[in-house]
Amino acid sequence: MISCRQLTKRFGAVTAVNSLSLEVAKGTICAFLGPNGAGKSTTVKMLSGLLAPTSGQASVCGFDVATQPLAVKRHIGVLPESLGLFDDLTIGEHLRLTAQIYGLGKQESHERIEQLLRVLGLSETRDTFAGYGSHGMRKKTAFAMALLPNPEVLFLDEPFEAIDPATSKIMRDLLVSAAARGITVFLTSHILPVVERIAHQFVMIRGGSLVWNSLAAELPRSLEDLYLELAEPPVLEELEWLASGQSWPRS
Amino acid sequence: MARIRAILAALITAVGRDLKTVGSFSGNNLFVVSVVFLFLNDPGPFVALNAFIGLILFIPLSADPLRVLPPDRLAVWPLSTGERRLLRILSPWLNPVTWLIVSLAVWKHVTMGLWALAAGAFAIGFLLPSLPAARKGIWRHLPSFPGPLNHLIRKNLRETLSTLDFWCSAVVSAFCLGFRAAGLLPGAALLPMTIIVMLALSTYTQTLFGLDGDGGMTRYRLLPVPGWQILTAKDVPFLLVSALMTLPLAPAAGLAAALTALAMGHHASVTQHSHQVRWRFSSGVSFAASIFQVIVMSATAAAVHAIPLLVILCAGVYAWSTWWYGRLMEQQPL
Repeated sequence: MISCRQLTKRFGAVTAVNSLSLEVAKGTICAFLGPNGAGKSTTVKMLSGLLAPTSGQASVCGFDVATQPLAVKRHIGVLPESLGLFDDLTIGEHLRLTAQIYGLGKQESHERIEQLLRVLGLSETRDTFAGYGSHGMRKKTAFAMALLPNPEVLFLDEPFEAIDPATSKIMRDLLVSAAARGITVFLTSHILPVVERIAHQFVMIRGGSLVWNSLAAELPRSLEDLYLELAEPPVLEELEWLASGQSWPRS
Repeated sequence: MARIRAILAALITAVGRDLKTVGSFSGNNLFVVSVVFLFLNDPGPFVALNAFIGLILFIPLSADPLRVLPPDRLAVWPLSTGERRLLRILSPWLNPVTWLIVSLAVWKHVTMGLWALAAGAFAIGFLLPSLPAARKGIWRHLPSFPGPLNHLIRKNLRETLSTLDFWCSAVVSAFCLGFRAAGLLPGAALLPMTIIVMLALSTYTQTLFGLDGDGGMTRYRLLPVPGWQILTAKDVPFLLVSALMTLPLAPAAGLAAALTALAMGHHASVTQHSHQVRWRFSSGVSFAASIFQVIVMSATAAAVHAIPLLVILCAGVYAWSTWWYGRLMEQQPL
């Protein structure tokens, strides 16, 4: 469903993604992991037809992302890093806009929207302008927009960050259920315990290069241990000045 | 006192940056033209025009300096009640308009009425952002438009209505309507007044995506619709507002000016994303671009005023520009 061959993106002298090759099968939840600045969002942008690769090839749902970006966009749902919401539209209007753009029928879109608002706890705030909503509310709106057209592939850039535990569980369950129905999910996240619970495939990149790609059953140890070893070794340094009873003068 | 000093210093920095956004009017087509015409032998009417722009600017200039501090941040800082009161008393003095009002009050040549007008406008600017309607969005209820771009058009209309360009042109248009209804507006004045209304509105066409925020362009690019449709959804509200504002004047000339402004403005809008601020004048990309747009727009309006059928040519050029820059938009990297 998602296929990359030597996918590379350079910004001037900086190589954001370097010769990335991977395959994600239909109905798989693929966790795409790596530290900040590793090239995850750039990869998601390339795969969702937002950014042209410098070299290499990628296809999503059988469409080439570089030459058929519009066809790719018709078959995918995306939760972008920036959320991509308009301050001047309410939460309900964002969903109705998505339904109209993807050509959903009136009755069908009404039912889907009502269900998504209910499931994601947005019913009460449907008339709130996105610009005035909390970050969690905005993220749930962008997530609902990604699901609404019933896409074949979901690209989710950090879906669980800034989300309350109950909604996080609902979103996890929705993704597991979607994957079971054949929808492919490609997500990035820093919340390893959550993705470890739901993902079928783990891909890690560091400095734009692939450092790990395996199925969940093939993980040699816990995801966190593997991640800290391969993708982001922690810097261990004590903040010796951090001690109780020595706070700033209150005068 | 050290804490208050530190907060006031931060406020001075933030207010200074905010005042720069108020200075956006210097890149506005109406202002550019009025400044150019000040060098004429008889600049009288244009002095009045600049005074009018100043009046429109007065309200956003009068904003409460303390509003730049997020309330949540202010609440968690370890300030005593006395320190909070002191901050409330001192912060308005960071706004230069406060000093202007005080100067006017002690200046003997200013009448009580003028001082009251200035102080009233200042109070409105101070209080307006804290009103519930302003916080919740005053353009919630707008008419629906046919087609799948309905909500995009509504959103873009809300954006258009939250620029000072719109309010400036609305005031000019309302005055013209009043004068025309009273039979005081001669026929020869219709075209010049139409051009002035369109000058007030047209800078926005250079920054069509300026109010969409950082994520806006990402969302546009994610939508499975061609670029020309996104641009059309941007242009429709502008055309509607232009038609409404020039209706009491010379509507055909106004439509031609609007189509021309959009056809020319697409280039800057698509290739140079300039961030705009609500309740400010739109700021053009350059003085040269503004002058060029003003000259072509005015010439087109005059030509269509003389030969109305020329508006078809304007529509053709506009359609080509929308298609061309729509394609360019699809290809641009994010």
